[in-house]
Amino acid sequence: MATGTAVSLKHVRKTYQLAEPVHALDGVDLEIPEGSYTAIMGPSGSGKSTLMNLVGCLDTPTDGTVVVGGQDVGDLDDRERTTLRGTTVGFVFQTFNLMPRLTALENVALPQLFQGISRGERNDRARELLERVGLGDRMDHMPNELSGGQRQRVALARALVNDPTIVLADEPSGNLDTETEADVLDLFDEFHDAGTTMLVVTHERHVASRAERIVHLLDGQIERIEELDGSETSPRSSAGQTTGHDRDHGHDHDPDHDERTGPASGANG
Amino acid sequence: MRPLEFGRLAWRSIGSHRLRSALTTLGIIIGIAAVIAFVTLGASLQAGLLGDISPDDQRNLYGWAADPDTEGGPLAGAQPVFTQDDLERVDELEDVDAAYGYMPISTQALAYDGELTPQSDALIAAGPPYIRPATIDEGRQFEMGEREAVINPAVAGQFEENVSVGDELTIVRQGGEQTSVTVVGITDSSEGLSPFEGFEPSPRVYVPTDPYYTEEVDGIGAGFEDGEAAEDEAGEAEPADDDNDEPATAEDARFLAIVVEAPSADEGDIDQARDSALAVLESGDSDASELLGDDLEITMQTSTELLQQLQDVLDLLQNFIVGIAAISLVVGSIGIANIMLVSVTERTREIGIMKAVGAQNRDVLGLFLTEAVVLGIIGAILGTVLGLAVGYAGAWYIDIPLVYPYEYVALAVAVGILVGVLSGLYPAWRAARTDPIDALRYE
Repeated sequence: MATGTAVSLKHVRKTYQLAEPVHALDGVDLEIPEGSYTAIMGPSGSGKSTLMNLVGCLDTPTDGTVVVGGQDVGDLDDRERTTLRGTTVGFVFQTFNLMPRLTALENVALPQLFQGISRGERNDRARELLERVGLGDRMDHMPNELSGGQRQRVALARALVNDPTIVLADEPSGNLDTETEADVLDLFDEFHDAGTTMLVVTHERHVASRAERIVHLLDGQIERIEELDGSETSPRSSAGQTTGHDRDHGHDHDPDHDERTGPASGANG
Repeated sequence: MRPLEFGRLAWRSIGSHRLRSALTTLGIIIGIAAVIAFVTLGASLQAGLLGDISPDDQRNLYGWAADPDTEGGPLAGAQPVFTQDDLERVDELEDVDAAYGYMPISTQALAYDGELTPQSDALIAAGPPYIRPATIDEGRQFEMGEREAVINPAVAGQFEENVSVGDELTIVRQGGEQTSVTVVGITDSSEGLSPFEGFEPSPRVYVPTDPYYTEEVDGIGAGFEDGEAAEDEAGEAEPADDDNDEPATAEDARFLAIVVEAPSADEGDIDQARDSALAVLESGDSDASELLGDDLEITMQTSTELLQQLQDVLDLLQNFIVGIAAISLVVGSIGIANIMLVSVTERTREIGIMKAVGAQNRDVLGLFLTEAVVLGIIGAILGTVLGLAVGYAGAWYIDIPLVYPYEYVALAVAVGILVGVLSGLYPAWRAARTDPIDALRYE
């Protein structure tokens, strides 16, 4: 399965017109291969959420291209983007974001509802996934009858229901205690091993360290990419990962932030 | 996404806010119930009125001469213009089964077995067919030229001892002279037999025009009646009588009204009878035509047509009340719109989740719209049930036959859907265009 590219970002810039233009992402180049497990780290305001929104097809870049599942998100209208999001991206949120009035089974089946899949088929698929995340006996429970860890497992099952190209997890263990966090992250590993592409945004080092590589973001740029097989690439030395093209936008970025990111994320965790 | 799925999700959401949903639909329930109740009562009232017209009566045409500008019901402003000759000529027509005169006669009192009860307007002179066989409970019709009477139960029961068929009644006339009459029949109800009498129950004695009316004319000259008719007649009819310059005779008796019986209740037969009768009465040969003119024209209508006027008033009243009730529907719709807007805000995050997992704008729109429509339909159905119940109770209370206006039940459900769509459209549109990024961040 790990042959192509799940997501690729080229020269991506996202500018918000507030009192003065704010560059949430300022020239990001990133390739996420299929079947990979990537963590994105960075302090608040470094552009993590913006990156998530772009990869999740919730937003479009101001400049540059975001290609998800082979399609350029910027070229799509709202409806096509929604379809792409529904079929190729699975979301896992920090706050679980389950529909409060739907059972675990219905929550997992929800994305397929919007794809027009029949109820029987949906429920079969949802049951299968709930069993895989170990909630075979909680299918008819409402979210408020489940523990945090169970809810996050429901959310993970929901993210996987449409066989997405990539699973986006935004601080997936932020609301969990250490023990359940480990359970959920073990499930991530399990699904990654089974071939699912994972992208986890976190500011906790021990969460990020489960990935194959960690992308460190700072001030809207990729500061460095840390390969967890030991090697480390800085954006300068890795051609194609990041280019200095954003320099000409006149933003004065200090390229040497390495020592700042490490301790910052450690402190946050 | 299929409508059924929308419905299930909408139902789930409504069910999770039972009190709120119930209160929201209350406005619609009250509105629809009010409309249905009033329409049911109106339809029942109408059926009650029309039900008073027996099938036998439906072929009868009631004619009288009055100023065409006169407003009002049967006999309003009527003048006695029809002579015995006129009646006979109409009676002989091929298109007419029977024709006879109608004349209320003023009295002072009725006496039975020495017991006197004051009675001013109980005596009605007409032809025998006026007493339709179906209305006779006991006995038979009176016969023309005989001193016979058919009385109604109100008369029969107003004396100490019940009057029965074969008994003798004494009628004290306006002038004080007394005349006796043999009771040959009793009707089944005290309600009027024709629109001339009105339909309300009251004591009535039906007698043949001959001899009871003709002899009155013989006795006192022109057959003056009490009230308006007599006064008007003094101006209109007397000059005509003067032409003869002879003492009034039975031949000169002029009747206030004419009843023409068509061969059947079929509309064509009725129209033909009417046309023929009018042609005779308005032709120069008739005695009535001498008196007719610009300010005296003959009106000839069936009971149904005569009741139409009353129905028009009823309809107007009903429309007015239904209009007021409809305002409550508008208020109800605003209630739904309001609660849907609250619901959209409250569920912003849910909208964000749905959009994140692939819900299109139209899915979100459909979901909220369905919810509003379901509320509208629930309100409409409950309102209809309540309205029918109230209509039933009302019809029972004022004792009229119950008629359910089924077309309004269908209309009510349609209105419920419409109200749901109209009140849900804006909130649903707001929900649909919610930005998922903001919505997911929404606390």
